[in-house]
Amino acid sequence: MKHRKLLSIVLSALLCLVMTTGAIAETTITYIASQDWVQDAEIELGEKFYQETGIKVDYQIVPSDQYTNLLMTKLNTNECTDIFGSQAGQFDVVTLLNVEKNALDLSNEPWAATLDPLAAAETSVNGKLYGQPVQDLSAVWAIAYNKQIFNRLNLSVPTNFAEFMAVCEAIKADGVTPIFEAVTDGWHHQLWFCEMGPAIEHLEPGTAEKLNNNTMTFADSAAAKLLVDQIKQMVDAGYWGEDYMTNEYTDAAKYIASGEYAMTVANQGFPTEINAAYPEFPAEDIGYFVIPLCDNQIMNVNPVGPTRFIWSGSPNADAAKAYLEFLARPENLQYQIDNVAKFNTLPYAGVQDKYSDELKAFYAAYPEQGTVYQTAVKYVNPQWMEIGKELVSVLLGDQTSEQFLKNIDRNRADQAVAAQDEAWK
Amino acid sequence: MNKKQIYPTYFTFGTLILYVVLYVLPAVMGIGYSFTDWSAYSDQLNFVGIENFKTVFSSDYNYMKMIGNTLWFTLVTTIVKNVLGLALAVLMTKQVKLLNFHRTVIYLPCILSALIVGMIFKSVLNPKIGLLNTALRAIGLDGLCQKWLTDSKIAFNSVMAVDIWKGMGYIMTIIIAGIMAISPVYYEAAAIDGGNAWHCFRYITLPLLMPTLTVTTVLNVIYGLKVFDTVYSLTNGGPGYATEVLYTGVYKEFGLGRYAVGTTLSTIMFLVMLVIGYFMIRSMAANEDVEL
Repeated sequence: MKHRKLLSIVLSALLCLVMTTGAIAETTITYIASQDWVQDAEIELGEKFYQETGIKVDYQIVPSDQYTNLLMTKLNTNECTDIFGSQAGQFDVVTLLNVEKNALDLSNEPWAATLDPLAAAETSVNGKLYGQPVQDLSAVWAIAYNKQIFNRLNLSVPTNFAEFMAVCEAIKADGVTPIFEAVTDGWHHQLWFCEMGPAIEHLEPGTAEKLNNNTMTFADSAAAKLLVDQIKQMVDAGYWGEDYMTNEYTDAAKYIASGEYAMTVANQGFPTEINAAYPEFPAEDIGYFVIPLCDNQIMNVNPVGPTRFIWSGSPNADAAKAYLEFLARPENLQYQIDNVAKFNTLPYAGVQDKYSDELKAFYAAYPEQGTVYQTAVKYVNPQWMEIGKELVSVLLGDQTSEQFLKNIDRNRADQAVAAQDEAWK
Repeated sequence: MNKKQIYPTYFTFGTLILYVVLYVLPAVMGIGYSFTDWSAYSDQLNFVGIENFKTVFSSDYNYMKMIGNTLWFTLVTTIVKNVLGLALAVLMTKQVKLLNFHRTVIYLPCILSALIVGMIFKSVLNPKIGLLNTALRAIGLDGLCQKWLTDSKIAFNSVMAVDIWKGMGYIMTIIIAGIMAISPVYYEAAAIDGGNAWHCFRYITLPLLMPTLTVTTVLNVIYGLKVFDTVYSLTNGGPGYATEVLYTGVYKEFGLGRYAVGTTLSTIMFLVMLVIGYFMIRSMAANEDVEL
């Protein structure tokens, strides 16, 4: 009997110990993001953050072609992670993410004042800041080309569509596939359309405003149709090669470095990225020019990119805020710039950029700038993946460019009506 | 109280309440929501009549293609799984070497997660570096190499083929159980009467397997109408919308916050399943008594 009593006391003590240990157990915050949005440098900083605070960060990386659906399902069913990544944008943060309901106000966080005002405006609603930009927003999606191939074939940078097609033809004739494109990922190939907003705007001034006021549709735009037709023309000519439907964008550096492909649509971190993976390929051998469809010569800028938000229902909001504060410390921002190949800078005060002379020359070569349509036009970015699917249908000959534009208009109208947008009433 | 009953009726109340709360009520609510403008973009809920049904059946959208794909998927996979499952079951009840090993190998795919199977076959069917095209090229059959999952003309066939590969072992196992239950006396009698293997199959095995085949058909049809994971993991409905089925569509509608359209699609599928289920249950009842 005595032994039993003793045993029960020991077991009770053990139970108390286990419960106490559980109570003071480390906090884990969850963070969901699309692939390529969480860099190795951030994970290393996450480890440092854990050592400093005892708060562990559980990164949940989702394939990009499934990410938007999954995130929206999580938000719409009130079962999100503590931190969620999403593209921002002044329209999307309201209509798509409904950040006033789904995210926490970060205006009073210590790093908020250091955020670039242009970037802050794209993650704010009614003067309140809701997001923390993740990536280098100064970069633009332009055509990165292998200078070695261009020099060998005596090619110069094209300044209009005809010259671009001639360059592609010369490259193809040499046995090299002109353009590396990756449709599998679902997010990359529509850059050829959405990034060309400035070109459409140049040909038909005021289009973005008319689209936002619902006084015009994409189907009304001859420039938009020309753009889609030129994309198809390029693909039909074989300039995207045979495997564009199954290529993955993570292989872009490999294929450009190997010389199997000559060009790809990339941002300005690509040269460093390619050199880091293939040291025998000098970063200086990658040059850039703007996408010359529709004879475009305007730089396509976008002050919006992947952004971290703290879910409003998070039980670990303070821990999540601490993580964002940690990442935004100047030394940690600099660590990311120095260690992430594709970051040349980050949109915060007090950091040192690492632009090469080559990149500075590229930016200087296109003094005229315009904002891309996924940011300038309402209800385009929320259907990013759908636009990708619609474009694939055009490329495969399953629908026409007119149908493609009509479908984008239809999806925009559906969202606008659901959002009770005044312009659609 | 009916004296033939062993237990009183109120014994079923617990189950009925759970069934009503967990199944019937959500289904009825779902049907109700399909007549509203429920979405993530607005807190207001308005009655919109049959607007969502008009949207689904409109030629401006891809929903009819999704419904068509789902029905085609169900028809093809049900027939092929049954035929192959039956053929394999007949083979796997003969005196062949390593019988259990063969049975296990054929059954194994169905215990794998559809997502894992999807990932494996995404790699196997890669046109450039995939195992299938590489093997075809290695034996000189380059002409047969295809863009299995990225050519809109054949992608859906590839998806169905993968699903059949995964599911036929399960059907085979059920049919094997059915064959084993057939008394050997019939076959002995047929042998005495001079019946050959085909006669035995045609006039003994097949008629006595009809109840089993009805069960496998019901299982296949229900599975086919609800298919999601195989399509999602293999093609995510692509290329374009070529392999989109109803439940990938419902998932996307919910992801985009268009709840009402999502529930409308579910309602339509519920009605389709109700009609198909009714006729199947009648058919099953008719097949309960089989005469040789």
